[in-house]
Amino acid sequence: MKRILIVDDAATVRMYHRNILETAGYAVDEAVNGIEALEKSLQEPFDLYVVDVNMPKLDGYGFLRELRSQDILQAPAIMVSTEAESNDHKQAYAAGANDYLIKPVKPEQLLIHVKLLIGETFT
Amino acid sequence: MNPLLEQFLSEARDFLQGIGEKLMQLENNPGNAELMTELFRFVHTLKGNSGLFEFPEMTRVLHAGEDLMDAVRHGQVEFSKELADRLLDSMDFVGLLCDEIEANGNIGAAHAADSARLAASLRQLIVKVESPAAVAAVVAASLLATLAETHAGQGEGERLPLVKIPETVRMDAYRHACKGAALHWLDYAPAEECFFQGDDPFFQARNTPGILWGGITTRQPWPKLAEPDAYRCVLDFHVLSTAPREELDEYYRYMPDQVRMIPVPPLSLALPDGKHNGGPMYEEFVSNAIGLLGKGRLEGLSRAARTLLDLSRPDLWLSSALRWLLLVMELEPENQDAFGALIKSLRHLIPPQWAELQPGLPGKTLEPESTLTPAEAEALTALLAVQRNILTLPIEASWQLGRIKAVASALSGCLKASGNLAALPGLEAATAMALNEAVSTPLLVWLDGALQERQQAATAETQTVQADAITRTSPNTEGQSKFGRRSEDVVAGSKSIKVDQVKIDRLMNLIGEMVVSKNALPYLAGRAETVFGVRELSREIKAQYAVINRIAEEMQDAIMQVSMMPVSFVFQRFPRLVRDTSRKLGKEVNLVLEGEETEADKNIIESLGDPLVHIVRNSLDHGFELPEVRLASGKPAVGTLTIRATQESDRVVIEISDDGKGIDPKVIKQKAYEKGIIDEAALERISDQEAVNLVFASGFSTVEVVSDLSGRGVGMDVVKTAVERVNGTVALESAKGKGTRIRLSLPLSMAVTNVMIVESDGQVFGMPMDSVVETVRVPRSAIRTIKNSLVTVLRGCIVPLKSINTLLEIDAPPIANAEDELAILVVRLGDESVGLLVDDFRETVDIILKPLSGVLAGLSAYSGSALMGDGSVLMILNVKEML
Repeated sequence: MKRILIVDDAATVRMYHRNILETAGYAVDEAVNGIEALEKSLQEPFDLYVVDVNMPKLDGYGFLRELRSQDILQAPAIMVSTEAESNDHKQAYAAGANDYLIKPVKPEQLLIHVKLLIGETFT
Repeated sequence: MNPLLEQFLSEARDFLQGIGEKLMQLENNPGNAELMTELFRFVHTLKGNSGLFEFPEMTRVLHAGEDLMDAVRHGQVEFSKELADRLLDSMDFVGLLCDEIEANGNIGAAHAADSARLAASLRQLIVKVESPAAVAAVVAASLLATLAETHAGQGEGERLPLVKIPETVRMDAYRHACKGAALHWLDYAPAEECFFQGDDPFFQARNTPGILWGGITTRQPWPKLAEPDAYRCVLDFHVLSTAPREELDEYYRYMPDQVRMIPVPPLSLALPDGKHNGGPMYEEFVSNAIGLLGKGRLEGLSRAARTLLDLSRPDLWLSSALRWLLLVMELEPENQDAFGALIKSLRHLIPPQWAELQPGLPGKTLEPESTLTPAEAEALTALLAVQRNILTLPIEASWQLGRIKAVASALSGCLKASGNLAALPGLEAATAMALNEAVSTPLLVWLDGALQERQQAATAETQTVQADAITRTSPNTEGQSKFGRRSEDVVAGSKSIKVDQVKIDRLMNLIGEMVVSKNALPYLAGRAETVFGVRELSREIKAQYAVINRIAEEMQDAIMQVSMMPVSFVFQRFPRLVRDTSRKLGKEVNLVLEGEETEADKNIIESLGDPLVHIVRNSLDHGFELPEVRLASGKPAVGTLTIRATQESDRVVIEISDDGKGIDPKVIKQKAYEKGIIDEAALERISDQEAVNLVFASGFSTVEVVSDLSGRGVGMDVVKTAVERVNGTVALESAKGKGTRIRLSLPLSMAVTNVMIVESDGQVFGMPMDSVVETVRVPRSAIRTIKNSLVTVLRGCIVPLKSINTLLEIDAPPIANAEDELAILVVRLGDESVGLLVDDFRETVDIILKPLSGVLAGLSAYSGSALMGDGSVLMILNVKEML
């Protein structure tokens, strides 16, 4: 089963994303900030990351930069943000994100992007 | 309620609390960037959370709040008290919505107007620095958004391009309409930046309820292939729907300003279309048909039309008109004007002028892609464009190769997902080469090749993306600062869990039973020795009892700790209360909170809330003077209100002190005398200290004018009652001109009650030790009767006596001991002492008091029952109710 890490400081958002992804059959883990996400990724890399921008301790950009500088399997990352940071999507790509979605992400939209990036064939 | 919503509400309340606190702190410390960032993050996250649900009313306000805080933290708007006020109002509103969601699961439509008003008032502050015109524009825009119902153009003179809809679809729609369905033409013009607002216009339009047909038009002629900006939406969507208006309004409730809904009269769909071939050659049929129609021979007309239709090619304009004629005749047989109009249209091959509706601009119909669904294909195109964009970013350090690896992972994912496995080896080779040379060029070349194969349109998009990317390759400074946010944004994470109160109550009950049932062991040991004569076993049971007893007591203590909470729980509301109230009164008061971490049982803490609020309001209203008065009497203009919590042995003491004008004992005495609370003798006798405590007497209020804040007919007696209900005491000290101090003393926990057991008529009763003053035995001769009441004199004071048997309606006289002395339990009732005649005194015990339930709850003479060690039930007396 493909493993996805949700990195977000808001418990509600984590639960929302987890519900969508678990229903679709992915194994989901959570982290509340960049530091925790990094620790978890180093233990065992994930197949995909769904990352919030604004978080305490280490934000989404910081986490992705750290992640990309590790010598581990580099899985795609979807950065999820609200429109307040809509102009920052280039910055997200520079930090190492592969995709940029805007909150609230609709379930269908999230699943399409996850499926495309994680490489699961559509049936 | 579903768990996600519960989670949202619980988290939302925490955030609202946090926002309130940060705002207070910011008021005292307006320049603090850290607080500002934290505050922004709270509002921002809360808004993000609310967006997951269908709560547009909530999201709208939070969004405005977020924008405002964003402007504040970037220094575009200055932080002011007014701003804080509005933000607090808005957060109160959000809190209210949360309550409503918790109660009803959704938000009533009635809040839309408030929501728009609050959002507008917040946005007003953002644009203040700009120009008055901009303010007007913003306010107008937000008001427009709420007046969603009043869409422009309700059909009259509207030229809808209905003819572009295929005839079969139009006929289908017409059939629906004749069955009573509402027909609407929707023009949906998404905002250009809609992709950044989380909208998916194509998806939105396609999923319109009751959709029969959909079309897309461009707003301006298509630019050259290389030019379009893939991130802007320049398309308009058109939908023909049979759904009721309310359903459509609901579906498009987030974008009312982008949607026009135009009711479509069913007949306006009857637009013949096709090859004109010929012309007035049908004159014979037309005059014949009109003749038949005039004579009302509809069957003949229908037959004639059918015959002509059979003879004509189906793609002719004529055939189309005949098909419509037959359909209208079938569904609206009484509408002969319509038949006539359709027949006459054959003369010039011009569609009937149903309601001045005419065909307009040509529409572009949807062409779904073959392999993937349109939404998937769209996402794939966008993703590939993004990966290409990423590859054009410069590689400045070796670690950035991780980015290339990630892009390769993403691309291989896209290939697998779209079933293009044949391209995988090429991708792998290109990736290896790129990593080897530490440049992204090989991968970029590969991707361009792949894209070219995919389709031209996709290539066009990526070129714009590339152009976009080149202009932004310089390092983003904002990103650097965000990265360095680690230290300033640390939030203390506490290792705590939320537990339902019911679970804790259950634990408390269980340990209560455990404590009681362990008390059966000594009883058992006694029986082992006396009844069965096994002294050895008796000793062993006692030894084991000691162990169990210790563990049970420790456990009881631990469980009680669980339901202990800090007084900050009640204190936290005061900064806001003091701030709002003092500003309303035009006073300046500085609130000092001390000992917030002092803990007490949750029930005690909760019972503290209302009395404290009352005391604080009283103090603000009556205690503090206006700033000018304070200055005149040599005090600082800003008054100080201190609320201090401390623990004194097994009690929590809360002191509320102010440096206001204090209480004048003379005024109080006079007032109390006027109100008949004290008599003339007492007026002379009582000390100043006793006098000020008269404010606790019921029906006492010294201020002539009932004020908006505290004087609502309830006095300090309410405070006293509430505190005494949880076995607390309240005392007041005041120095005229210097200030007032109120001291509340409360037990740490209500879980364990210490009672004295008394016996009467062979039954035992429990009397809470809090109310027991003393136990005495007096000779029968010392008891006298005054005016039908029994009294005795104890240490020079007359104490009224009541027989417990009489009070409980037990028909038995009190029993005296061998020396003919009667047992009297002296209890405190308010400020008086009352003696209860009982038969005998027993020991005192700790019990877990359980309120009576069911039918027994009506027995007010008892405050509850408790289970004793030997399994018997002890009834606990309620002194106040009994007397």
